[in-house]
Amino acid sequence: MLDLFILAPLACLILINLPPVGSRRLALPLAMVLAGVQAIAVLCLPYMPRLDGPLTSFFNFGLQITPLGRMLLLAVGLVAFVSLLVGQASLGQDRRLWQFASMMLLAITGMNGAVLVSDLFSLYVFMEVLAVCSFILIAFNRDPLALEGAFKYVILSAVASVLMLGSLSLMLLVAGSTGFAALKAALAAGSASPLLKLAMAGFVCGLFIKGGLAPFHAWLPGAYSSAPAAVSVLLAGVGTKVSGLYALLRLAMDVLPPSAALGQAVMVVGAFSMVVGAVAALVQKDIKRLLAYSSISQMGYVVLAAGCFLADAGSADWRLVAAGELAMAGAIFHLFNHSVFKSLLFVNSAAVERQAGTTDMQLLGGLGSRMPVTGATSVIAALSTAGVPPLAGFWSKLVIILALWQSGMQAYALLAVAVSVATLGYLLLMQRRVFFGRTAPNLQGVREGSEGYVVAELILATVTVLVGLAFPLLMHLGSFLLPANLNL
Amino acid sequence: MSPNLLLLAILVPAAAGVLALLMRGRAGAVSGPWALLATAANLGLGIFLFDKQADLNLPWAGFGLQFVLRLYQFSGFIVLATACFGLLVALYSIRFMAGRANRNQFYGWMLLSLAMVNGAVLANHLVVLLFFWEGLLGTLFAMIAIGRPGAWRTATKAFIIIGISDVCMMLGMALAGWQAHTLIISDIHLPLTTSVCTAAFVLLMIGAISKGGSMPFHSWIPDAAVDAPLPFMAFLPASLEKLLGIYWLARISLDLFELTPDAWVSPLMMIVGAATILLAVSMALVQKDYKRLLAYHAISQVGYMVLGIGTAVPLGIVGGLFHMLNNAIYKSGLFLTGGAVEHATGTTDLKQLGGLGRRMPVTFACFFILAASISGVPWTNGFFSKELIYDGALARHWIFYAAALLGSVLTAASFLKLGHAAYLGKPAENSDVKFDQVREAPPSMLLPIVILAAACLVFGLGNALPIDHLIAPAFAGTHFAAAEHGAAEHFAGWPESSMLVLMTCLALAAAIINHLLGAKRAGSGLGAVDHIHHAPGLAQIYDAAGKRYFDPYDIGMALAKVASRILWLIDRLIDGVVAGLTSGTARGAGYAVSAAHTGSYALYVVWSILGAAAVAAYMLMH
Repeated sequence: MLDLFILAPLACLILINLPPVGSRRLALPLAMVLAGVQAIAVLCLPYMPRLDGPLTSFFNFGLQITPLGRMLLLAVGLVAFVSLLVGQASLGQDRRLWQFASMMLLAITGMNGAVLVSDLFSLYVFMEVLAVCSFILIAFNRDPLALEGAFKYVILSAVASVLMLGSLSLMLLVAGSTGFAALKAALAAGSASPLLKLAMAGFVCGLFIKGGLAPFHAWLPGAYSSAPAAVSVLLAGVGTKVSGLYALLRLAMDVLPPSAALGQAVMVVGAFSMVVGAVAALVQKDIKRLLAYSSISQMGYVVLAAGCFLADAGSADWRLVAAGELAMAGAIFHLFNHSVFKSLLFVNSAAVERQAGTTDMQLLGGLGSRMPVTGATSVIAALSTAGVPPLAGFWSKLVIILALWQSGMQAYALLAVAVSVATLGYLLLMQRRVFFGRTAPNLQGVREGSEGYVVAELILATVTVLVGLAFPLLMHLGSFLLPANLNL
Repeated sequence: MSPNLLLLAILVPAAAGVLALLMRGRAGAVSGPWALLATAANLGLGIFLFDKQADLNLPWAGFGLQFVLRLYQFSGFIVLATACFGLLVALYSIRFMAGRANRNQFYGWMLLSLAMVNGAVLANHLVVLLFFWEGLLGTLFAMIAIGRPGAWRTATKAFIIIGISDVCMMLGMALAGWQAHTLIISDIHLPLTTSVCTAAFVLLMIGAISKGGSMPFHSWIPDAAVDAPLPFMAFLPASLEKLLGIYWLARISLDLFELTPDAWVSPLMMIVGAATILLAVSMALVQKDYKRLLAYHAISQVGYMVLGIGTAVPLGIVGGLFHMLNNAIYKSGLFLTGGAVEHATGTTDLKQLGGLGRRMPVTFACFFILAASISGVPWTNGFFSKELIYDGALARHWIFYAAALLGSVLTAASFLKLGHAAYLGKPAENSDVKFDQVREAPPSMLLPIVILAAACLVFGLGNALPIDHLIAPAFAGTHFAAAEHGAAEHFAGWPESSMLVLMTCLALAAAIINHLLGAKRAGSGLGAVDHIHHAPGLAQIYDAAGKRYFDPYDIGMALAKVASRILWLIDRLIDGVVAGLTSGTARGAGYAVSAAHTGSYALYVVWSILGAAAVAAYMLMH
């Protein structure tokens, strides 16, 4: 069954590129149906029969689904659906829609593949598939800024590839295989060797570049802000999360040996990203750039928690181990929440850009009365990002901060709290500049965005509110979405 | 009888009140009769419940909070009394409120007030009591606020004053519950020997006397007399709040705590009572408005009850309770005569009135009886209850007796002035009132006044009826009745001490002589006390009081304004430092980080490589 997550988008991609040309008109609806079905199918996964598909039986391609993977697949389906909705509303012509849908299908293939595979090399390959799609999608409008953004991404991705491929070869040398299980055994056995340490550090740094963690993040603001609206939604919502963050969390849980040194290094990077992203976001003038820096800051939380897990996992004290697992649960939960609320904020910015013609906050103001749904959902997303109860973001941040505190890392916990205050600060500044206050005279004619935007906003806002309200309920369902041994 | 019937005493008026609130617009015409029906049903319920005993215990809010109600002699008596006043005021209001836009709100809040009072009286759990007690504060606010435009200011004043004292009461409840290890009222029996228990008692007492309208929690009542609809005054400050406040004062003095003459709170209560009597009646003396004058008497009379209960001797306590009932009767009656005058002439300004006695003979006759009662003229009910209080006060110290007696002199003087100015003499010159068109009030307004005046006589001449059947059973079973005197002691009948009666008669005579001399000197009834008003020394004090220099609310508000000004300055200072520092730092850091993003690929690659090198180096070193 798992094969379908990779094969179905691939098949759709081939289907819409076959003649007759008339079928191209169906490309985007088809992709949308596929994404929607994926989101629902993930939820039904436990009730489906486990059949080995051709990828597993014929190519001997070990596919695996972990709770983290389920969470990501769900987010991919949801965000891809929303991104396609926004794309349909913003791109216009049939030909461009078809191109967009094709690239999206390929990107979905890449993301699903990266989530499902169980060996490091395949993971790298699918990450590159996604990266290539991302380059093209960022430059989709072919304007100079977009080309520049895409080019920066290409350059830094190349650095990441060098780091990861180099590390992979070192690991292969030691372990003789790139399967997660084999790697884990080999790494655990020889974790003291400097060569392996170097390999782990290199691979993790490659992931940092892919995930846009400071100081490896410099490509991200340009790429997010110059990409077309629909692409920003996809990239910020799941794109960089799958290629950078998912891989990091997966490796931390299934491959990397518990290592206090690695954990500390990862935590430093996470905390640094958290602070740098928030500080830079405070002074941004453009909505999309602000959101991009906010993404860096939020990913800092996830990485900080992942580092906490790595640092605690090797401890002899079971309480510390439990706190580390709690941190990992918080990281996974925050990753999902971030997908939802950050995509929502990008959809909001897309609607504003479409209707008001700009994302420069100095030119905007008072749009809340003109665009009520966009304004209201934007406030919800902002509050969820800043971790205001009872929205989803509150719970995941709370879990992370609690876990940090229990691990004896009070300084990091306080830093996380301080950054979430700053988060509230810059997002409320954004709300005030864009949606609150009096409508400027030149914006009087602005209307609410078309149905595509409104539906997308409502779906995402509903998810973030419901996840927040039903959090106690979700805790009981935790075994489905969170690793079984991670009991909150 | 099923204890669940107790719930009806709360639910019936509450449901009727909510319905009345919904009768907006043209449906408002129905709200009056509807309220009459509902209060009649409430009275029927009150009569049915009277002299019965029941305990109701329902699960309520969790945390061990039970919805506990208890009906026994005392609470049954108060429920019955409030029901009577509710019906009379509803009957009276039908004509008085007719045609007013917000009459349905008046009836709605009135019925809800009845529900709250019933709930508070029946409550046998401190939290339940607090719930209804505060509910009554809410309806009180609403009933004042629907008065003339701008009345919300007075409503807010009342809300703040009572709210502050209710906070004290809440603290007292917490202390009492903590000391007694229970929140069930009937299980609380605390001695007044430890300081914690005494503190609890004083805090609870503040809530009780504030609800009763005693000084220093009184200053909203004269304002409300002018701003709120008149039946409200007869309904809440004159009768229901007195009943409830003094009921609670009696409960804490007799049941919850063992008030004895040795406890220092007893003189405290007596001082508060005596001060309230004298200060409020002095203010009443110089009022030139019918309703404001009555309002100050509504405050002054509470002093007698507080004084009576504060004596901590059976005579005084029974007198205080009897006075509570009597006061509710004549004070609401007096307010209703004020309403009749306002209805007939359109004003209650005494300078514009005069000679109404011939035009409104029934109202005048009733006023005469009611005024005689409040002044304590022999054979009226006020006479008997005051004599009991005098007796009790004298048992403690003659100074309290003297204060109470002086209060009576001034009360009588001010009612002589009021009656003279409004009903006797000639119609005022250059008045806006068209005296030839003044008519007696309609029967539905007269009937409640007549009933109340008659009750004054009945409860006076036949004072054994209320004392033996209403007051004494409530008093029985307390530590006083059990300890020293037994239930056999008889309080009813003609006062035992002829000396006290003689003194009272002398006091009344003094008031009459003062009035005659004063009226002759000033040439009008209205100016009969001007020689006191303008006496050297007193004139300045009255002037200052007229400018509200002594209003605790205004003083408190002025202090609060100064305090908030200072706090604001401190706050600005802190804010300047904190906000300036943090926002300056954040902004500086933000621009620095932003400036570092130059857009150069080479720089970005260098960052990444340096970062990776740092991570690798760190890993290798550890």
